[in-house]
Amino acid sequence: MSRLKALFIVIASAILVFAAVPSFAKKAPKVITIGTLYASSGPFATSSTPQYEGLKFWVSQVNKEGGVFVKAFNKKIPVKLVAYDDQSKTATAGMLYNQLITRDHVDMLAADFGSVLTSVAVPLAKVHKVMLFDQTGTAAKFFTPDNPYVVLCSLPTSGKWPYALADFMIAKKIPRVAILYASNDFDQSQAVTLHDKLVKAGIKPVYYQAVPTSTSNYSVLIHSIQATKPDAVIEFGFPNNDIAFLQGLQASGVKFKMVFTIFPGQLFELLEKNVGAKALYYTYTYPTPPLLKYEKVDLGMGLSQFEQAFKKETGKEVNFLNVAGYNTGLIMQKTLETAPKFDQLAFRKAVTGFSGKLMTLDGKFEVDANGAQVGEMLPVAQFVPKGVGGIEMHIVYPPNMKTAEAVYPAP
Amino acid sequence: MNLFAYTIIAGIMYGVFFGLVGLGLNIIFGVMRMINLAHGDVIMLGSFLAYWLYELLGFNPLLVVPVAVAVFFLVGFPLYYALVPRLLRSKDPEMLSFILFFGVSQVIEAVIIFAFGNNQRSIPFNVFGSAGFDIFGQRFPIAWLVTTLVALAAFGFIYWYLQHTRMGYATRAVMANRDEAMISGIDVNRISAVVFCMGLALASIAGIFSFFIIGASYPSMGPELTTVSFAIIVLGSLGNPLGTILGGLIYGVAIMFMQSYFSSWANILPYVLLIAVMLFKPEGLIGKAARSA
Repeated sequence: MSRLKALFIVIASAILVFAAVPSFAKKAPKVITIGTLYASSGPFATSSTPQYEGLKFWVSQVNKEGGVFVKAFNKKIPVKLVAYDDQSKTATAGMLYNQLITRDHVDMLAADFGSVLTSVAVPLAKVHKVMLFDQTGTAAKFFTPDNPYVVLCSLPTSGKWPYALADFMIAKKIPRVAILYASNDFDQSQAVTLHDKLVKAGIKPVYYQAVPTSTSNYSVLIHSIQATKPDAVIEFGFPNNDIAFLQGLQASGVKFKMVFTIFPGQLFELLEKNVGAKALYYTYTYPTPPLLKYEKVDLGMGLSQFEQAFKKETGKEVNFLNVAGYNTGLIMQKTLETAPKFDQLAFRKAVTGFSGKLMTLDGKFEVDANGAQVGEMLPVAQFVPKGVGGIEMHIVYPPNMKTAEAVYPAP
Repeated sequence: MNLFAYTIIAGIMYGVFFGLVGLGLNIIFGVMRMINLAHGDVIMLGSFLAYWLYELLGFNPLLVVPVAVAVFFLVGFPLYYALVPRLLRSKDPEMLSFILFFGVSQVIEAVIIFAFGNNQRSIPFNVFGSAGFDIFGQRFPIAWLVTTLVALAAFGFIYWYLQHTRMGYATRAVMANRDEAMISGIDVNRISAVVFCMGLALASIAGIFSFFIIGASYPSMGPELTTVSFAIIVLGSLGNPLGTILGGLIYGVAIMFMQSYFSSWANILPYVLLIAVMLFKPEGLIGKAARSA
């Protein structure tokens, strides 16, 4: 009887010990495996490749320091990035995300660039209960109360992007607004938000049209818009659309009092190289890092330090998507540093825990209950001439971020 | 009324350029009965050649034309003799050509991405001068006029070649009936090789001027251009090079009208036209008469 009692006490003690320190119940992995996709070709390659480079840079930085600290195992563990090329195709991406989860058994998943290539990852992450760190897929439909396995790392959901833009035009009392948008979720959600906010303020857009995302010649469209005599022209598209639109505008010789496009603020170098600085004069945009400088950070590098280190390692100048990729790595790092258990829901709870308290080179990281980014906001900026042939950017709205008055109407 | 006039004129210029885009594909099909699925990638190569010659040596795009013709003739001959005669000896050359040129297209895209990256590249519109020009009260960029004139010159050259040269007569004979041409003593292989190179050179010329009509150039632009080219040559007449200009004009004017008045539906139009032609006039709008010319 006493032997049985002793055995019972030993077993009960063992159970208690494991229950009390569940984090040590699992054996620490040799590496933390992060799965991601990138597009080396196709329409998203221009944006996906730099984002992937940013994430790779984060991996190389943490591994130089012996890995990422994992609270669940109370030690640093090196990071391994498993990446496949989806060639900008959603069907390929779906297959490869599945492969990352079921064959490579990744610990965390980082989505490819943008909403289109993220759209196939969201349901897979939900079904397989794997945390998806959504890098730049900003479609609002990804973030629902029944899916705790997705977190948007950079940029607010696309429907919220034009808040400051709409407020700026309302404040400026611009009466005739033309909105031209590419027919995809990303651009359409912005067009709808802007349209609705303007209408609510008593401004009914004089032109509100969608064009196929593959549109590459805007000459006739620019003349159609001109016929409506607008005081502001807002073009929502992907980088290819913005380049074609700005080229068309320059070539046509048509002048508008205000022109807004999205990507000069994210991919400034690319746009400047393709359309020239002159075509960007007085153009409005959403500025993002590196045009917006966040130096005081709680984790990782500030923007200037990142620009130097990234250039040293890759030989390339930094654009926003490099920042977004690196920022995703930082959010993953913070998750691992704070999650008490090494499981997917613990990761999600950890994100909720540091949401609103973390400042990175991309701005304030804060997510709502569904994982959508709400901390970052996109102000309105305008490019203006600087010296001979030069260009600089001023933030013109909101007032608390303003660095100069908007030049309106454009000369 | 202004917008209507602008749309028509812009559509004509846009259409003439797209006629040039389809021309190379059509002459290759006319002679070899093969669809070159790498056609759009050759256009992309032409645009990259123009971009780098402009960036590094300051070449005006017009000066790139003879360079591109020389380069693509030099590349085209070995490529033709390496690929096409073997295909023609197979049981189903048309189907095999689809697969083979699809592979060539993928290789070209991958090599260009490897060499130059994914980013878009452009030559500034004002390379021919910043002044615009007026037609019927409508102002257009000078780059459009230059592009249109180059495309018309290419069509003129092909017309002259087919109608006024001995090799052109032989080419038309091969287009009409390859076997009969061979029996009558025409060196079908040599004609095919020349036309193959000519097709590549025409595609590269379209690439050189593509910046001014379809915006920036990038490595993955090829497949979409191949699809549009195919729609255009079917509209005009598959296998009849000169029908391509009609296909291009219909495409250009139609797409500009759609952009002006029903912009959301603009890109569907070429394919609706394609289906309509396939249903009601499968030989193309001017197919039969021209093919027997």
